[in-house]
Amino acid sequence: MVFLREGLCPGLTEEVIQALRTQEIRTVEDLVSSELEELAQKCSISYKALVAIRRVLLTQHTGFPVSGADLYEELLSSMAILSTGNESLDVLLDAGLYTGEVTELAGGPGSGKTQVCLGVAVNISCVLKRTVLYIDTNGGLSASRLLQMVQSKTSNMEEQVEALNRILVCRVFDVFSLLETLHSLRSGGLEQASVRNGPIRAVLVDSVTAVLSHMLGGRQTEGMSLMMQVAGALRLIAKDLNVAVLVTNHVTRDGNGVLKAGLGQSWSHVPRTRVLLQRVDGPQARHSGLRWATLLKSSRQPCHQKQQFDLGSGGQPADSHPDHLQRREQEDVFKH
Amino acid sequence: MTHDVSSAESGAQLFARLEGRSSLKNIEPRIFPEEGAPVPGDVVEFYGTEGTGKTETIYHLVARCILPAENGGLEVEVMFVDTDYHFDMLRLVSILEHRLPQSPEETIRMCLRRLFVVHCTSTVHLLLTLHYVENMFCSRPALCLLVIDSISAFYWIDRSNGGESVTQQESNLGKCSAFLEKLLRDYRIVLFASTQAIMRSYSGEPSRAAGASSSWRRCPAADGDYSKPYLCKAWQRLVTHQLAFSKTDARRDSRAVFSIASSSAGTKSTSRCFFCVTEGGVQFF
Repeated sequence: MVFLREGLCPGLTEEVIQALRTQEIRTVEDLVSSELEELAQKCSISYKALVAIRRVLLTQHTGFPVSGADLYEELLSSMAILSTGNESLDVLLDAGLYTGEVTELAGGPGSGKTQVCLGVAVNISCVLKRTVLYIDTNGGLSASRLLQMVQSKTSNMEEQVEALNRILVCRVFDVFSLLETLHSLRSGGLEQASVRNGPIRAVLVDSVTAVLSHMLGGRQTEGMSLMMQVAGALRLIAKDLNVAVLVTNHVTRDGNGVLKAGLGQSWSHVPRTRVLLQRVDGPQARHSGLRWATLLKSSRQPCHQKQQFDLGSGGQPADSHPDHLQRREQEDVFKH
Repeated sequence: MTHDVSSAESGAQLFARLEGRSSLKNIEPRIFPEEGAPVPGDVVEFYGTEGTGKTETIYHLVARCILPAENGGLEVEVMFVDTDYHFDMLRLVSILEHRLPQSPEETIRMCLRRLFVVHCTSTVHLLLTLHYVENMFCSRPALCLLVIDSISAFYWIDRSNGGESVTQQESNLGKCSAFLEKLLRDYRIVLFASTQAIMRSYSGEPSRAAGASSSWRRCPAADGDYSKPYLCKAWQRLVTHQLAFSKTDARRDSRAVFSIASSSAGTKSTSRCFFCVTEGGVQFF
């Protein structure tokens, strides 16, 4: 909703706004959808002036149709695929994270979501030399673990510092701060931080569930609305800034006991690609870093492909997930 | 922008408005049985839960529209309104490439020139954009199809912004529906819109679809869970055809099989077709 106010466009003076208000025309959409000829007579404003105002307001507030050929051209020149540094995941994702898209990792507590995110961040900053924004909503990010992972990639001190510099960390613990961060990213507020290291090419949110799940439920709609706003902001950033977005989500079981991603039907449409992470069952499964990754949703590859990988391949035992965090995540699951 | 108030209309505009549009009757006989094919002014709703092939089917139909006539296309222009920020150009191009084997890159670009894509971020933005693109419908007689993917994208946001009042909640989409009605009537175009099935209808709860105005709608048994229509009445009234998508348990060549139940206000009968998704797009059998 955009209210008519002075200075919105030339010709829209205080008198015009007052006159329009007498006819219950308060917003841009009111003006655009009204019958201008009639309106001009009723408010005694010049018809020509009204038409001009309407035209300017329309061009200010609409999306512009782009020819498919131009869009394709633009896409070919700007699109990138960012390898996750994890071969099994890259196979499932068809080479890696695509810029312009939202990818989701779903998994229960201790399935390795945070570890995979850290690995992706390190790979993008250290190997691909790109800037990453890491939005941490559950306190799962540990700087020492990041350093460890960077050290396993390079032994050069300077390179390590540079790599860590390219990972911008943002800690937010509620949905409003998350939205604020995403908006400021879009309007260039975080540019200062990225100017030294080049533009941000990937945004990781670990996890979206932590800030969203407690808002949902009951008959209220506000939580759903906030969730869809987060979804909209993520997709907008992905397309407009041409970055790859990776989010993590928890899992629930459907009526038949099959694991599915959390946050419900409306959210299920949001990510373009979804990978489910699971522990590998086995004798010493509890302490091994082996995980199954299953492709649940993709527009490029047949779904339900499975790949096995080792979380600890970064040189770290897999069960590095701090205990208290695991408990916290578990509590989140129980709420549903 | 001024055409709807200025009395003068150029010959080309009049022609575009009244005569110039080609028919989409043959767009896909496997989905639309002969008597249920969309004619100008019709609204086809693509309805289904996540991962049931709605978007793939839309790409299939868009590809059919923008392909040149010698390759089995209709050679008409398409306006694609992307409210979900979801449109996958690479996917569409790969479908086109499969339909145009050994064709030069230039042919694909020529096809893509028949497609216009516009993104929207809210229902109000959608409304203003529809007003803006009216001009294009007016001046381009080849523009026959408007696709909105999806019309339900801002449902929760509108619902929460409207507060307690249902009228307030639905006012934005209502305005869009009213304007779409005018576009369809004045320019004789066809509208394809997708709706995400997100509302569960619990057994015992009378489904709104059972109302007299929309008794022709059939919801597929497989997706019976999520068959409750939830968008505003003004939109429901506009819809003349419904394609209900669902995923079946069957598999063919280790690919999932999807089903479309197609029903229309005109015929009151439901026809069903099955397809699977391959690299080259939707494949019916």
